[in-house]
Amino acid sequence: MSSLSAENIFERKCIPCHQALPASLQEMFKRYLLVYSSETNMKAGIKHFLRYPSKDISAMSDLFVDTVGIKKKTSLSAKELDDAVDIYWDRYKVFYKLK
Amino acid sequence: MLVSKSKGINSFLKSEKKSLFRFLTLYVTMIVLMIVLLSAYYYQTQEKLMLSNQRASLFKYAYIHAKRLKVLHHFFDERVEYPRDPRFTSAIYDVAFQQIFSLLKNEHVRFDEEIYRRDKHIHFVKSLDDFYLGTKYIIIEVEDDGIWEQLIWKNIIGYGLGTFFFFLLFGLYLAKLFLKPMRDSIVLLDRFIKDTTHELNTPLSSILANIEMMDTDVMVEKNRKKLKRMTIAAKTVSVLYKDLTYLTLEQEKENKDETIDIKQLVKSRIEYFDILLHSKELEYELDLEDASIFMDKRKLTRVIDNLISNAIKYNKRQGTLGIHLRANKLTVWDTGIGIKERKIPYMFDRYTRFNDSEGGFGVGLSIVENIIDEYDIRIEVISKLDEGTKMVLKW
Repeated sequence: MSSLSAENIFERKCIPCHQALPASLQEMFKRYLLVYSSETNMKAGIKHFLRYPSKDISAMSDLFVDTVGIKKKTSLSAKELDDAVDIYWDRYKVFYKLK
Repeated sequence: MLVSKSKGINSFLKSEKKSLFRFLTLYVTMIVLMIVLLSAYYYQTQEKLMLSNQRASLFKYAYIHAKRLKVLHHFFDERVEYPRDPRFTSAIYDVAFQQIFSLLKNEHVRFDEEIYRRDKHIHFVKSLDDFYLGTKYIIIEVEDDGIWEQLIWKNIIGYGLGTFFFFLLFGLYLAKLFLKPMRDSIVLLDRFIKDTTHELNTPLSSILANIEMMDTDVMVEKNRKKLKRMTIAAKTVSVLYKDLTYLTLEQEKENKDETIDIKQLVKSRIEYFDILLHSKELEYELDLEDASIFMDKRKLTRVIDNLISNAIKYNKRQGTLGIHLRANKLTVWDTGIGIKERKIPYMFDRYTRFNDSEGGFGVGLSIVENIIDEYDIRIEVISKLDEGTKMVLKW
């Protein structure tokens, strides 16, 4: 069983909404990686977008944004947001996965 | 102050050697520094040239690798196999210089230079605009075969040594020019002494022979005193004459080494100088044990004569002259004017005199030095100004 249990904030607050989108969380992660490169930059970029969603700062393509629209401002607390983004990074990061 | 001398017949005077040593030290230091600086500049230039030659191919590898990363980024994480190439090894770093993955053999990576060499490896750092897999920096590594470096060291050592020896010879030539005036004046003085010494022999022999033949018993006291003074003067000139003869004519003669009873020789020389000792009202302390040495008697006599003569000449009136003889040691000491500490190393130089009120050419100790060097005898000079000087010979 994964250390990230079904009760964690990422699975409760992020996955349900993203399941309906045409781009997976993995693909979105790679889009962010292309723009921000490092862990610190990427986490800061995601948090900023979730707090102040805007087409101008979205890492996704215009086509994607036009198709699915811009999400609403996050309702998560700062701590919940930090935890969720940390889990997101740990789940999809490239480090230690390449062989 | 105590100064020891060891073996070594010196063709240069100490003052000449000192000047030569200072000049050559400064000169050689400058030459070595110049060669080192030029070599360092040459090495760096050649290294830059080699890196510049490598740059084009490494840039091509980085471009190929970036394309492969792009593909891997697209298929990640269905494919996780990092792209490899037999021509080079590589690593990828994010914008915070965190290593994402590395196959480098040398993990010491620098991001402040585009291309550099470290421990037999060449690294090329390529910065990306699109961060595939988060990659900001691609490091391409190839092995440095070191052939260029071997060639450079060969050139540096070859040309460096060549240049060094060329300038060293040039420096010796300069030093010779530099010392020539000093050397010329010594040669001139030598020649003058040689010529004049030759002319002293007949009159001096005649004076000494006639003094000895005179019958002092029939003389009145006044004339006897006058004769005594004449004897002192003649003997003083005689010692000087013997020194000069030795210096200019006899020192090149072949040695007639024999076992010498030093005690006997010292006694006879004291007897010879007795009249001089009395003229200065000197007391003498003799503490002589049996001792012998295998050398030319003529030369040992010159050494002893000069040591005794100096101890008399530079002694105070009513002072003391001491001679101690042990199996392997002869000490001659006086209660005279002494010599300044800093001048002691130069007292054996020819034509060096430290007291203008006394006569002589300043050749006595130079002769002593030459002889003791030849026979591997050590000399120690212990002197205190206004207290006296002690000369110790050890063999």
